[in-house]
Amino acid sequence: MLMRKIYQKDLKRQETDSNDDIEDVSLFDAEEETTSRPKKSKIRHPVASFFHLFFRVSAIIVYLLCELFSSSFIACMVTIILLLSCDFWAVKNVTGRLMVGLRWWNHIDEDGKSHWVFESRKASPQDSKTVSEAESRIFWLGLIACPVLWVIFAFSALFSFRVKWLAVVIMGVVLQGANLYGYIRCKVGSRKDLTSMATSYLGKQFLRQTTGDDQTS
Amino acid sequence: MFAGLSDISISQDIPVEGEITIPMRSRIREFDSSTLNESVQNTIMRDLKAVGKKFMHVLYPRKSNTLLRDWDLWGPLILCVTLALMLQRGSVDSEKDGGPQFAEVFVIVWFGAVTITLNSKLLGGNISFFQSLCVLGYCILPLTVAMLVCRLVLLAEPGPINFMVRLFVVIVMFAWSIVASTAFLADSQPPNRKALAVYPVFLFYFVISWMILTFTPQ
Repeated sequence: MLMRKIYQKDLKRQETDSNDDIEDVSLFDAEEETTSRPKKSKIRHPVASFFHLFFRVSAIIVYLLCELFSSSFIACMVTIILLLSCDFWAVKNVTGRLMVGLRWWNHIDEDGKSHWVFESRKASPQDSKTVSEAESRIFWLGLIACPVLWVIFAFSALFSFRVKWLAVVIMGVVLQGANLYGYIRCKVGSRKDLTSMATSYLGKQFLRQTTGDDQTS
Repeated sequence: MFAGLSDISISQDIPVEGEITIPMRSRIREFDSSTLNESVQNTIMRDLKAVGKKFMHVLYPRKSNTLLRDWDLWGPLILCVTLALMLQRGSVDSEKDGGPQFAEVFVIVWFGAVTITLNSKLLGGNISFFQSLCVLGYCILPLTVAMLVCRLVLLAEPGPINFMVRLFVVIVMFAWSIVASTAFLADSQPPNRKALAVYPVFLFYFVISWMILTFTPQ
């Protein structure tokens, strides 16, 4: 009661059309805000986030600095292959599940036909199972940036005729590209949804541009 | 100017949740609760056990359908890397430190496996791409063992006996690989095409056996 009176006095200075009740409610709600907000910005799985980025980035670093590290081509190649495999397994089976609640795999039924299954966790009201924004950002950043880099390396290896590295680079592109594709399919749902999402995104951009033009003109 | 645009409705956010409907619906529910939230250790142990089980199946080949269903390519990767490492001319010189041979073995194994898979699919086989790669990769295990034995035998003095021992070991392991892979692959082919599907497998393992037999460390 006392707090309310003080706030009311302070707010009279900057009072606009809104009445005092709304100001009071919004002030007191500040403490309860965190429980109603679905996404948090703290990292809930630091180990998973670390490993998500560690394998990918160290594979790229080893590839770039292989001449400095060791004079043996084979040691570098085996190291990169091991790092790429660990990264593929970790991202597919562990970090995707923990950080963003998505998973994809291949399932073969009794007829011998293979199905690709893409799964995403339903948004539940429990606190422990929601996706945190920081983790989601780390996940998607790592997932998208690294295959792009490997594609660039593939072109550079091709055009500079360092063909002996081509096997490793192609492996990098394939493994990381597969994870990227799998998780995008999980997130978007199906190919039809992907095209409708692309159309809506383009539509949004178009609308933004035209309203922007209208405001500036 | 904006009259036409007023009909466009753009959703701010596309919800991610939904149900996956595929025929094995009950099995997916099982997966949803068990594998999406399982601990990391469970995941590792499950995958390791699957790989180990497949190695056992290769060592004692018998016709079993369940092996093919849960394919994975970890075993082939490990075997390929091991084989490629053992097939190096062990020289300390960094200029020709066996680089091309390592990539060579890799390319031969994976490209050969892909070619055989394409061949069997074109012949009308009822097996999926990755299953076939999985079987062919795992059945390199006997030849890897042969390589290990050959390297040990080569530590002894060279001579005709040395060569005969190696030849014998390689032939036995080659036969084992062929038997193991045809036990899994032959069922997926229509009966009049079995020989057509099996002979590339024969060639594939023959090339690898040849590489093993003619290996001489510097």
